[in-house]
Amino acid sequence: MSIWKYLFNLEERRNWWTRKMPDCPLRDYYEVDFPDKDSDWRQVDYLAVDYETTGLDQKTDQILSIGFTTVRGESLCLDDATHFLTKPTVEIPESSAVVHGILDDEAASAKPLEEALPILLSALAGKVMLAHHAAIEYQFLSNACKRIYGYPFIGPVVDTLALEVRAFRSRDKAIQSGDLRLGAARARYKLPRYPAHNALTDAIAAGELFLAQVAYRDGKRAPKLKDLTVIS
Amino acid sequence: MDIELLEIRDFLVAHHPFDQLPEDALNALPAKLQIRYFRRDASIPENGDLESELYLIRTGAVELHDGEDLLARLGEGDVFGYRTAAVEGAGDHNVSAIEDTLVYQLPAKEVDDLCNRYPPFAYFFRGKSGGRLRDAFATLGQEDNSQANQMTVPISEIISKSPITMLPSATIRETAEMMSGKRVSSMLIVDEKESLVGIVTDRDLRSQVVAKGLDYNLPISEIMTHDPLTADIGDYAFEAQLLMARQNIHHLPVTQEGKVAGMLTATDLTKHHTTSAVYLVSDIFKQTEIERMQEISAKVPQLLLSLASADATADSAGHVITAVTDAITTRLLQLAEERLGAPPVPYAWIAAGSQGRNEQTAKSDQDNCMIIDDSYDPAKHGEYFRDLARFVCDGLDACGYIYCPGEMMAITDQWRQPLRTWKEYFRKWIDQPEPKALMLTCVFFDLRCVYGEQNLFRDVRQFLLQKTRGNRIFLAHMAGNALSHQPPLGFFRNFVLIKGGEHDHTFDLKHTGIVPIVDLARVYALASGSEAVNTMDRLDVVAKGGEVSEDGARNLHDALEFISGLRIEHQAGQIRVGDKPDNYMSPDALSNFERNQLKDAFAVVRTMQNVLSQRYQR
Repeated sequence: MSIWKYLFNLEERRNWWTRKMPDCPLRDYYEVDFPDKDSDWRQVDYLAVDYETTGLDQKTDQILSIGFTTVRGESLCLDDATHFLTKPTVEIPESSAVVHGILDDEAASAKPLEEALPILLSALAGKVMLAHHAAIEYQFLSNACKRIYGYPFIGPVVDTLALEVRAFRSRDKAIQSGDLRLGAARARYKLPRYPAHNALTDAIAAGELFLAQVAYRDGKRAPKLKDLTVIS
Repeated sequence: MDIELLEIRDFLVAHHPFDQLPEDALNALPAKLQIRYFRRDASIPENGDLESELYLIRTGAVELHDGEDLLARLGEGDVFGYRTAAVEGAGDHNVSAIEDTLVYQLPAKEVDDLCNRYPPFAYFFRGKSGGRLRDAFATLGQEDNSQANQMTVPISEIISKSPITMLPSATIRETAEMMSGKRVSSMLIVDEKESLVGIVTDRDLRSQVVAKGLDYNLPISEIMTHDPLTADIGDYAFEAQLLMARQNIHHLPVTQEGKVAGMLTATDLTKHHTTSAVYLVSDIFKQTEIERMQEISAKVPQLLLSLASADATADSAGHVITAVTDAITTRLLQLAEERLGAPPVPYAWIAAGSQGRNEQTAKSDQDNCMIIDDSYDPAKHGEYFRDLARFVCDGLDACGYIYCPGEMMAITDQWRQPLRTWKEYFRKWIDQPEPKALMLTCVFFDLRCVYGEQNLFRDVRQFLLQKTRGNRIFLAHMAGNALSHQPPLGFFRNFVLIKGGEHDHTFDLKHTGIVPIVDLARVYALASGSEAVNTMDRLDVVAKGGEVSEDGARNLHDALEFISGLRIEHQAGQIRVGDKPDNYMSPDALSNFERNQLKDAFAVVRTMQNVLSQRYQR
C-alpha cells in the first residue's frame, strides 16, 4: 500500500488545495477542517463508504453505485444511510453485472458522476472515510475528482482491512488466504452474514466491523484517531 | 427508505413486537435505528441509562440481572431496555453481553411515538403481563369468532331467556291451558321465590291425568315430578346432553343461582349438533365387556383431536374428556355391582386429581378413592368392596387409565375406608400438616363424587372445608407445597431457562406450566372454604371472595387457559402423527408470539406465587 506513504501532513495539503482551487464541490469539501488526529476516536465522525465498480483497475474501471452511512460515537447511524447508482460512460462488462446485479438499463436511470460526487463529498466533509480495503474507495474517488474538478481527493482514512492485519500481527497469527475478506473478518467478531455486493450493505458491514475491531482493541486507554487511521 | 435497508426491515418484521407494525411504519423504522457492538462481558450500555433506548438483539446474547439474581437470558430477536422492565417482570436491573453482541437501538422518544400511533405495538409494553395476555386473547378471539364451537357452548347460549312457570297451587287444567297457549311440551313449577319445586310434561298429563281419569281441578303439585334434576346455566350443553341421555329424560330445568332460568329440551340440543363425545359416552353405557370398553376408550385421542380442531377452549375440552372417564368409571361400577351384587352398605366412588377437577386431556393416571358408610364392617363387607375396587381399578387400567404410581387408588386398602376414617385422615392432614405427606395427598383435596351415595362425599367435603377455611398453619404448608413447582424464567434460543441459569431442552407443560396454577387455586379455594374443584371455577369463585385480588385471579385464569390450550395443541399434534401424547414441548415448536405469551403467563404465576408466599410464609 505504497500510496499511503506519499500522503502526509494532511492539514497542510488541505490548506494548500483550498487556496489553489476554484469554487467547486471538492473545494467545499476542503473548506471543512479534517478531524483532529489526536482526538479520542469516539469524538470523531466517520463515513462508512462502499462502491460497486466495473472492475478493480482504477485507471479504466468505473463506479457503478455508491453507498454510505455515518458512524458516530460508537454507533452506526442509519438515518443518513444513502445509496444510489452512478452512470458509467462505458457499457457494463457482463462479468461484473453478474456480480453486482446491476444491469445496463437499470444503470441508465442512474446519476451521472458529476451529480453523484457532490453528494458523496458533502457527506464526507469533516469526517473520516471508513472502508474495507479503503485504497479502492480512496483511489476511485480521487481519480473521479481529478477527472471532473482537476484536483485529487485527500482525507483521513480508516481501513478495516488494515486494522484486521494489525490485529493478526498483534496476536502473532499467520494470515491465511481469504482471512481478510469482509465476510471472513466479520465472522471472527460474530457479526451476522449479509448478502454481499450491495454498496450500502457493504458500507454498513464495514462500519459494524470497525465498531467490533475497536471494541476488541486491547489496552485500557481509548484509542486516538491517529491510532486507527492509515492516512492522518 | 433505501431498498438496501430491506435486510434490516426483514429482520424487524420477523420479531415481536415489530411484527405488529403496519407496512409504512416498518419501512420508516430502519432509518431511525442505530447499530451498536458490545464485546462479551461488556455492560449495555457501558454508561448511561438503560431506559433511554430500546434494544433489539441482532446477533449475540445478553443476560439481565437484578444484583446477583438472573432474571432473563436473551438472544437474537429479543428486546430489552426502554419500557421493557415490566415485560420481564423486573424492576431495576442491569444488562451485560454474554457473547459478542450486535444490537439495534431505537431512542425512547421513537418508541413512545410508535406506541401512541399503534396500539397493538403498545400492548407489548403494557405494564402488567396479565393485561397483555388478555389483549392477546382478545386479538385471537376476534379471528376465531366465525367458528363457534357447538360441542362446547354453554347452556346459556341455547336456551330461550324467559322461562314459562306456574305456581304449585295452579290447577292441572290451568297448567294444560298455559302449555297449549305457549306451545310448550313442559312446564316449570316454582314457588313464590322463583325456586324450582317441580316439573310437568305432556307425558305426565297423558299418563297421570287422562289415563287415570284424574280431576283436572286438582292442584298441579299433585302430579308434578318433585325436585327434578337440573342443570346450571353455566354448564356446557354437552354435559346436560349426557345427563339427559343417561336418565332418559327430554326436559331439563336450568337454574341460575338457585332460581329458575329456563328449560332445556332434547330438541334444543339436537338443533345444536350431536357430538362425538356424546356418542362415545352413550356407547360406553351399552357395553358389558371390558374388551369393548377398551376399544371405545382408545378413541379418546381422536376425541381430543376433534376438540382441538374445533378450537375448543382448554376448559371445555377438559370437561369433555373427563366426562368420558367418568362414564367408563360409572359403567365399570355398574358392571361390578351386577357381578358382585348390590352393595351391602352405601358407598361413594370419588375421583381425585385431574379427573376430580374435570381437567383431563389425553389419557392420564387414575386417582380415585372410596368413601363407605360408617355401618361398614371390615369383617363382613371388606371382601365385597375390595373386589369392587379391584374390578374397577383393573378395568380403568385396561382402558388406558394406568395405575397411579403413588397408589392413590381405591384398590389400595388405605384409600377404601368408611366415612369416619376419612374424617380422621383429613383431621390429621389438616391439624398436623407434614410437608412430605401433603405433597402426596394434595390430590385428595380435589375430590368429586362420580358414582354412589353423594351424601357421603358431601359429608367429607363439608368436614374438610370447615377445617381448612382460614386455617393459617395448614394453609402455610399448602402454600409451601404450591411453591414447589416453579415456572421457568423464560426462553433462550432453543432452551428453556430455569431459575439459577440452568437450561432445559424441553418445556414441561404440566409441572412447570399447569401444576403451579392448579396448586395456587387449590390454596385459595381451601382458604376460603369453597366447594369448587375445577381450577377455573376455583379462580372465578375466589376472585369474588377476597382471598386473592380479582385481577390476580383473572390473570391466572388467562395464564392457565393459554398454557392448557398450548398443551391440547401439542398433544393433538402428536396424536395426528401417531405419537403418544405427552407434556413435553420443544421450544422450537413455539412461535415468537407464543413465547411472548408464555413469558407473560410465567410472570403472572411468579407474581402470584410471591404474593402467596408473603401471605402465608413469613
